[in-house]
Amino acid sequence: MSALARIQGDFMRSLFEERAADARLEIYRRNVLATLHDALAAAYPVVQRLVGAGFFREAAERFARAVPSRSGDLHLFGGGFAAFLADYPHARSLPWLADVARLEWACHESHYAADAAAFDFAALARVPAERHGEIRFALHPSVRLVRSDHPVVAIWEANQADRDGTPERDAGPDYAVVHRESGAARPRRIERGEWEFLERLAAGATLAAASEAPGDEEAARFLAAALARYVAAGIISGFAAPDAA
Amino acid sequence: MPRAAPVGIGLRAPHYAAILERRPALAFLEVHSENFFCAGGEALEWLGRFAEAYPLSFHGVGLSLGSADPLDEVHLAKLAALAARFEPRFVSEHLSWSSIGGRHANDLLPLPFTEEALDHVVARIEAVQERLARPILVENVSSYLELPQSTIPEWEFVAEVARRSGCALLLDVNNIYVNATNHGFDARRYLDAIDPDWVGEVHLAGFERAGDCLVDTHGARVAAEVWSLFEVAVERFGERPTLIEWDTGIPPLEVLLEEAARARAILSASARAEAEVS
Repeated sequence: MSALARIQGDFMRSLFEERAADARLEIYRRNVLATLHDALAAAYPVVQRLVGAGFFREAAERFARAVPSRSGDLHLFGGGFAAFLADYPHARSLPWLADVARLEWACHESHYAADAAAFDFAALARVPAERHGEIRFALHPSVRLVRSDHPVVAIWEANQADRDGTPERDAGPDYAVVHRESGAARPRRIERGEWEFLERLAAGATLAAASEAPGDEEAARFLAAALARYVAAGIISGFAAPDAA
Repeated sequence: MPRAAPVGIGLRAPHYAAILERRPALAFLEVHSENFFCAGGEALEWLGRFAEAYPLSFHGVGLSLGSADPLDEVHLAKLAALAARFEPRFVSEHLSWSSIGGRHANDLLPLPFTEEALDHVVARIEAVQERLARPILVENVSSYLELPQSTIPEWEFVAEVARRSGCALLLDVNNIYVNATNHGFDARRYLDAIDPDWVGEVHLAGFERAGDCLVDTHGARVAAEVWSLFEVAVERFGERPTLIEWDTGIPPLEVLLEEAARARAILSASARAEAEVS
């Protein structure tokens, strides 16, 4: 190991100790923890509001010591916070907290995800009707699907800036689709059947397989309407046509 | 009408809308490159609008130039793609390190000023310049402690990095003042060690005091002592693109524009004085 690597390794270790050996090193240690805390606070504003600034700071600093940042791009830091909170002994009385964190990370990822070209209706019109079942619809890159036993969407909505924190529902489960609406990522609660349909599309299923059509006309109509809505909302952004027969 | 001196400001999200609406006369806008490493979304849409209105400068904070770890190729690829897409006037990074053993502190940590570190960081700068197919600017950082292993004065280390790698220097006058105070050296001696031909850009920002130490928070107006040192720097280096940086506790845009006007006035006064002499 080079002398440089040794010096840097020692320095790095000292930054994540409980307290630095001297006052000047302590400035660096505080700065680093503040930066990592701020990155988490930016990604998890609802969690921070739910637990309060002091509790959040302590949890964030413990997380930052336990789970290293792995990139010079701070937007990538904090994906493991939900798992950390699930095991955090001091959050045991808040059983929904980890799922709220999971929902916020989905929003965070969605916010920075790739764009997609506009849906190609002309190409869809060229697929013969008898082969519609073989189409594989693609979700927009910003779409994330989250499910929870807790009313996480209601909790998320109640803790936006203009709300007082009182959720409109106090029981789950919640099935959520997260995507960007006019720039900002946010979750919407949807029916379980639609959520499972989208999940199968996300896994690459054909329309026929994703529908698991029970065969009755009502289900077919429901899916046709849902499909149109998802395309209009930008949740479905493209498709792969069946291979030419 | 004399040409306006080349002064820009750091572009931060709270000012996006105001800048596009008011279009203040600024020579360039500087962003943190990593804030636009995302694959898509509104950040890149904003950047596209600014690229049409102003020359851009991409200022990196996360490449960890001085680290003994291998260069992060994923990070470099994102930077290269961003630079290819938006064609910024400048691409810069810091003369520091922020990661080792794969762990990132996401902070600008001090290098030991040794021959080994010098060789290493020069090779790294060359590799980055080759990868980006363009020269980069490298910025001197503020520091709160001196590593006991250092054998070279900071100003000689910085000068040598520029001389050997062919990179331009982004000279942060506030950081020189902060370090001169924290480590007890003469800031003018630092400026004297820098060849004017190497200086491609100048940064100005505010510090805060923590006990006996000045901390480079980018959260205050430029201090009077730093304006004085800037005047000395301008006298020595001539007119260089100059940036007002503000990253924490971001004030109204007006405050940044006032600071920019002050920098512009100092640059213009120096240019006038020079014109009278010649």
